[in-house]
Amino acid sequence: MNEIGRRDTQWPLYEVFMQEKAERPFQSVGAVHAADAEMAILNARTVFVRRPACHTLWVVPHSAILMRTSEELADDEEDDADTGEPQRYQIFQKTSQRRAMVYVGHVGEITAVSPQHALRQAIDTFGSSEDVFVWWVVPNAAITSTDDDDIDSLFAPAYDKIYRQPSAYRTFTAIRKAKHSSNQ
Amino acid sequence: MDKTLTHEEQLAEFEARIARGEKIEPGDWMPAEYRRQLIRMISQHAHSEVVGMLPEGAWITRAPNLRRKMVLISKVQDEGGHGQYLYHAAESLGISREEMLDALLAGRAKYSSIFNYPTLNWADIGVIGWLVDGAAIKNQTMLAQASYGPYSRAMVRICAEETFHHKQGKEMVIQYAQGTPFQRQMVQDSINRWWWPTLMMFGPHDSDSPNSAVLIKWGIKTKTNDELRQEFINEMVTDLTAVNLTLPDPDLHFDEASGNWITGPIDWDEFWRVVKGDGPCNAERLAARQEAHENGRWVRAAMEAFAARPERVMA
Repeated sequence: MNEIGRRDTQWPLYEVFMQEKAERPFQSVGAVHAADAEMAILNARTVFVRRPACHTLWVVPHSAILMRTSEELADDEEDDADTGEPQRYQIFQKTSQRRAMVYVGHVGEITAVSPQHALRQAIDTFGSSEDVFVWWVVPNAAITSTDDDDIDSLFAPAYDKIYRQPSAYRTFTAIRKAKHSSNQ
Repeated sequence: MDKTLTHEEQLAEFEARIARGEKIEPGDWMPAEYRRQLIRMISQHAHSEVVGMLPEGAWITRAPNLRRKMVLISKVQDEGGHGQYLYHAAESLGISREEMLDALLAGRAKYSSIFNYPTLNWADIGVIGWLVDGAAIKNQTMLAQASYGPYSRAMVRICAEETFHHKQGKEMVIQYAQGTPFQRQMVQDSINRWWWPTLMMFGPHDSDSPNSAVLIKWGIKTKTNDELRQEFINEMVTDLTAVNLTLPDPDLHFDEASGNWITGPIDWDEFWRVVKGDGPCNAERLAARQEAHENGRWVRAAMEAFAARPERVMA
């Protein structure tokens, strides 16, 4: 036990997925620590949604997600654990190396008897693994989601806070005017 | 990666990936030194965001009007959020958030020295936005290209929000520079105090920066400390003089040959003094973090108790 931290600041890690508008794909935006999923939603809102736009947030325990990079798949030594009950899994991919603030994005759903089984099916269903740099397999049972009733309280207030946007400040014009008048 | 490869072959493949512009992601092979350098940089960066809340937070109750107060609260909230993005990016390399917080609270961790200077007047809030955040954005825009995916993504997110911080500060400084004699004097006093510490934010000269070569080789950084500092100086001198503010440097001059504004010598003795713990506010910042951590203990305990409660009985 550490004298200072007293081991009370770690908590489980939850991955956060954001959907910007209805019908848009969920994307991984980062992670938060929380003692439970309910608090993870609140932390995720504070950390990732201080500005518009968000329609729905998901939080999922980090430990519940199967994550594989293409480099790891090339060296695949997965155990076949294909004996469980069929479950639904949400499949996410990273398909671009461009500058971005989001990581993997949602591509579809698979029903399978294990995460490894779901990943193999996802690779067959959602494109060749050469075009995909990272795969995430998220069990539906592990997802905690906001619903439409939460939008007004959690996400709508951000729209009124225009002073959080750079466009609220006319500094370019102010400097240009100052330079112009000092050249007169 | 193929586990039968030798270390040299793994390293060659790793460097080839970086040369192709691929991001290294959690789970991918990386040299131990790459991991060590990233943990060092990202954790210091995270601490800087968290400690950076303190000098500005001190003025929330003294903001001159409601708009400025809302802006400042939002900015300080953002800094807290940025710390969280970065702690998470560092955690993806195998260090725990708790280890990083312990290092900060125990006074072992470094953070940007700029936050060990006091905020003495209200104009400091504007000058921090324009100068200090402006310097930070130079560095962060470069780091948004970093080869490590989680660091790069955190930086892209942070840069988008820092642009607001920068512009609200710039707006405030321009307004005071064109305001009453008292406002002009207040903002000039602030510039005089922050100019040199801001230039120190870019770190030691390249000749005294032992980590730069490896950071550039592995695509963590793409520019050196002196290159970023010079870009910043050139932009700031032009804009600040346009609004009739002066800089506290009698040696400042324009060099026609290079097209650069050249400053007088930076006081590196002061820089190292502050880094090593002997700046104006080092002790105060650490005490404030420790106090905040202690004051939050009952909240953390309550949240844990709530999470551990028996299942609620449905009515």
